[in-house]
Amino acid sequence: MRRLSMRSASMLAYNLTLAMQSFKRAPSLYFLVVLTLSIGVGLLCANLALVNSMASDPIPEKSEQLFHVSMNTWPNDDPQAEPFHILRYREAMKIVSSDIPKNSAVFYASGVYARDSASPSLKRFDSSVRATTPGFFSLTNAPFAYGSGFIKSSVMEVVIGHELNQKIFTGENSVGKVLELDGELLTIVGVLKPWRLRPLFYHATEGRAFNLTDDIYAPLETSIDLGWSIHARSSSTVSYKGVKFTRDRDVFYLQAWVELENSAKKQAFQYYLDNYSQSLKDVGEHPLAIRNELRDVNAWLLEQNIVDQKVLAFTLASVLFLCVCVFNASSLLLSRFHSAKFEVGLRRAIGASNKNILMQGITESALLGVIAGLLSLLLSWLFLKLSIKFLPDLENLAVLEPKLLLLGVLLALVTAIFSALYPLYRGTRYTISAELK
Amino acid sequence: MLKMNNISRIYQSDTIQTHALRDFSLNVEAGEFVAVTGPSGSGKSTFLNVAGLLDHFDRGQYELDGVSVQGLKDNELSRLRNEKIGFIFQNYNLIPDYSIFDNVDMPLRYRGFNANERKRRVEEALEKVGLASRLKYLPSQLSGGQQQRVAIARALAGEPKILLADEPTGNLDSLMARQVMEILHDLNKDGATIIMVTHDTDQAREVNRNVQVIDGQLADFRVYAPLDRQAEQTGKNISAVASKNVNEEVVDA
Repeated sequence: MRRLSMRSASMLAYNLTLAMQSFKRAPSLYFLVVLTLSIGVGLLCANLALVNSMASDPIPEKSEQLFHVSMNTWPNDDPQAEPFHILRYREAMKIVSSDIPKNSAVFYASGVYARDSASPSLKRFDSSVRATTPGFFSLTNAPFAYGSGFIKSSVMEVVIGHELNQKIFTGENSVGKVLELDGELLTIVGVLKPWRLRPLFYHATEGRAFNLTDDIYAPLETSIDLGWSIHARSSSTVSYKGVKFTRDRDVFYLQAWVELENSAKKQAFQYYLDNYSQSLKDVGEHPLAIRNELRDVNAWLLEQNIVDQKVLAFTLASVLFLCVCVFNASSLLLSRFHSAKFEVGLRRAIGASNKNILMQGITESALLGVIAGLLSLLLSWLFLKLSIKFLPDLENLAVLEPKLLLLGVLLALVTAIFSALYPLYRGTRYTISAELK
Repeated sequence: MLKMNNISRIYQSDTIQTHALRDFSLNVEAGEFVAVTGPSGSGKSTFLNVAGLLDHFDRGQYELDGVSVQGLKDNELSRLRNEKIGFIFQNYNLIPDYSIFDNVDMPLRYRGFNANERKRRVEEALEKVGLASRLKYLPSQLSGGQQQRVAIARALAGEPKILLADEPTGNLDSLMARQVMEILHDLNKDGATIIMVTHDTDQAREVNRNVQVIDGQLADFRVYAPLDRQAEQTGKNISAVASKNVNEEVVDA
């Protein structure tokens, strides 16, 4: 067995040497093959990177246990006949008060100007705010670098993200420091590690699915009391002067997520919501059918159609383009193998079997594939940079993850071998005497 | 060593059937040096291709060193070519950008020998043809005669049972042709079985037996010299018994 593997290793080394000699004999042709394949693979990988970012599961460890809550409690039958993805304060509180979910979070998006209250500089940073209940951090598995989340919804405390901590405190542990947020002083109790959710599942509506995570996480009640305005979709049947006055009005602006560990709990929570809706209907607060919906992360993202159809179409086009590249490479290799017909004949005459010739060709094309794979990664990166240049919205999406890098190399390897299969098949079909003529 | 019985090889184009070999029978004993002559297009090369397993045949039986080749798979035929046959081509068929060493080493690669064994065999084979000092040369740096000697070394390196030579001196001037023929005769004296296709009637007269092929059939044969079996070397590997070295040529091509 050991002798056999040594022999295989020796043949592999020999075939690699032959491949290098073959490249030296026709460098222009092999350069064209590599370039053709790497452009095709690079373009496809760049598109797959976008699709991957759009279609990936942002929280795979528990995406099946996290549910977005939509309710059908609009006070009249116009305009909402369908369950609504934003809720009133009182529905939100009904959800938070339930002990069925392991975790729950209700929140709205806001924004403030932030500065270190102890800093002599008056420079303020425009910061996005997630005004949320404390369950948000456990529910989303937010990664803490320092400290922890706030425990109550009505304290003057905040958690800040990695980027804001870098900007204001140069990345140091800022727990205990005080931020001035729109003139109010709030103490930092936690700092997050770099945190990317792709897509941003907890706020996938209003075209925000590919936004970065927030700069500041503030307690919900505090944010409402401070009058931090709503920076996302809201709907109401009444007029109101600001978020401070939303608690007892028909203002819909809070999104809600719950963590339900199993189907029994999901069913129980569904009953809980339906009973609540029914109780509202019974006292005439809404005329609608009882329709409350719980959608897990992936179902919710699917519902939001966050995968851009144009990107999908372009990906399909790039698959077809890759096929054209493979045909081109195959045609180039066919001419190369045809010119090497004499050598193939000679090798077969002196004892190489068709299998030996096939392995020699596959080794050569595999080496081509690896080279094309590496070049295709560079081209993918360039294509993505170009995409961002023309479409800045893609910035948070255009990321080449390690699995895509690996896929790129594998794809190039497979396409290179595939390109060589027909030329190799043709090369071993002739009789040896014909090859030697 | 080689037994062909009623071998037929038919080439078929869209409209024409050409019988390159028809009911061709030949028996070559171990240690024989057989010259195959005949006019152009008579089937000499087809015979050599079939004998060397470079081409298939349509009918008949062929046995090489006791192995019936009918129905053998590609890898079995390859192994037979590699282990039992040494080819010497008219055009030498050396790979121009490989060194002399690499050209001679080529058949040994498919035999699975380790590097030391290959090196030993290549050096020994080149020694036998007087080119041991030209290991690193490229074929283009050698004369035609030297290139053919490299081709002979390549054929010998695998220690085959039979040498098949297709007009080995066809591209050489008379002096170089003489040197190549001397090497072949020396190898034969030491027990090598050789079948040589040639147009040269003088060369054909120098060997043990001359067979003539006309219209794909064995037309005639003449025995010019008694078969030398004194050393009981039949069946031995060629290079194991061929020991006479050719003096190194010192003149570059």
